[in-house]
Amino acid sequence: MLCVSSIEGDEGDLTRKQRREQARAERKAMEEAAVASAMRRTRLAQLGIAVGIVVVAIVVVLIATSGKSKSGIPKTAHEKNATVAEISSLIGGIPQSGNTLGSPTAPVTLEYFGDLECPICREFTLHALPSIIPQWVRSGKLRIEYHSMETATREPEVFKTQQVAALAAGKQNKAWNFIETFYHEQGEEDSGYVTEKYIQGIASQVPGLNLSEWSSDRNSSEYANDVTTDGQTANNEGFTGTPSFLIGHSGGAMSKLNYTSSPAEPAFVNEAVEKLLKS
Amino acid sequence: MSARTLRIVLIVLTTLGLAWASYLTYVHYSGEAPLCSLKGDPCEAVQTSVYSNLAGVPVALIGAIGYLLILGSLLVSDGETGRFATAALTLGGFGFSVYLTYREVFTLHKICEDCVASAVIMTILACLSVWRFLRGDPMVTGAGAALGEQGGGVESAATIGSA
Repeated sequence: MLCVSSIEGDEGDLTRKQRREQARAERKAMEEAAVASAMRRTRLAQLGIAVGIVVVAIVVVLIATSGKSKSGIPKTAHEKNATVAEISSLIGGIPQSGNTLGSPTAPVTLEYFGDLECPICREFTLHALPSIIPQWVRSGKLRIEYHSMETATREPEVFKTQQVAALAAGKQNKAWNFIETFYHEQGEEDSGYVTEKYIQGIASQVPGLNLSEWSSDRNSSEYANDVTTDGQTANNEGFTGTPSFLIGHSGGAMSKLNYTSSPAEPAFVNEAVEKLLKS
Repeated sequence: MSARTLRIVLIVLTTLGLAWASYLTYVHYSGEAPLCSLKGDPCEAVQTSVYSNLAGVPVALIGAIGYLLILGSLLVSDGETGRFATAALTLGGFGFSVYLTYREVFTLHKICEDCVASAVIMTILACLSVWRFLRGDPMVTGAGAALGEQGGGVESAATIGSA
């Protein structure tokens, strides 16, 4: 009996010990699970904050950069007048002939291949040309020819229509007024803003342009052929985007002119003209 | 995937992204045509667009700096802070890639393969680094940890967190 009681007592002690160990293990597991759960929550909260900051930053960048592509189409008559005055101040009094701005005897010629809907061409026209034209074109050292190359315009027919409209203004030696006005009032790319009304609106802002003659000249196949020929020339030169440039002595061989960082900086043209004038 | 392997994969991907972004930065400043432009003009059009700069800084350079910071966070520390820094930086990079891709698709309507390649790398990096941070694997410590060698000891994430 004693022996049996002893065994039962040992078994009772063992069970209590086991229970204690089991309880300790469970407590430890619960503590570890609680720590792990707290860690997970902390990590998720930290990631949530990071994601929130990233989302806010993207929204800020989107808002800050959305102005870059906003339409330049003027909303008021005052804005239109300001554009016309700015263009007249830049190119007024400089000889024009067809697609060319500058003296016919200028020793250096720059061929500017552009698409009137191309926003990078707008950068060049609005930011680089206001420095290049007074320095080189007005002084009779450089003449600039505008040529057509389709890039930004999605519809070939729209491209031809707008480029021909500019060249038709060249019949009255007003092409550069048309081109400058178009770039100043360029709309948002691919928004379909180039309609007949828009083109008529550009033409109506060209001082002295006879609109009925211009409308008639737009139907001439001569200008449509010029646009096609320009595209073939650009293709032969291996141009892949606009604006692209050729430069050389007037009447001589032309060479490609690449811009280094941005076409809005006139330095690449200035350096090339200086070099050609010295040679 | 072990913590060590995951870290090595992240380092390799980040180095690849850094090399790619450095190449695009070089292309931006040299004026050379990017590799993908050999197949047409969309790449050059995208990389010379008004969106190729942010506050006057080329986006390719911003990308290169981003990859450099991510690489730094991977090499400097394998602790909780380091893993969070990597996850936060890659999430930032992923957000920036989303913005640039949005501009390509919805504003410029042109896709540049070079930019897409970088966006894919950044997306994989963001997924892996967030997974790594949330997993909370034991930290590999020791002198060789940066190179992925098993170091002198393993400390539980819980211990690190409670420290």
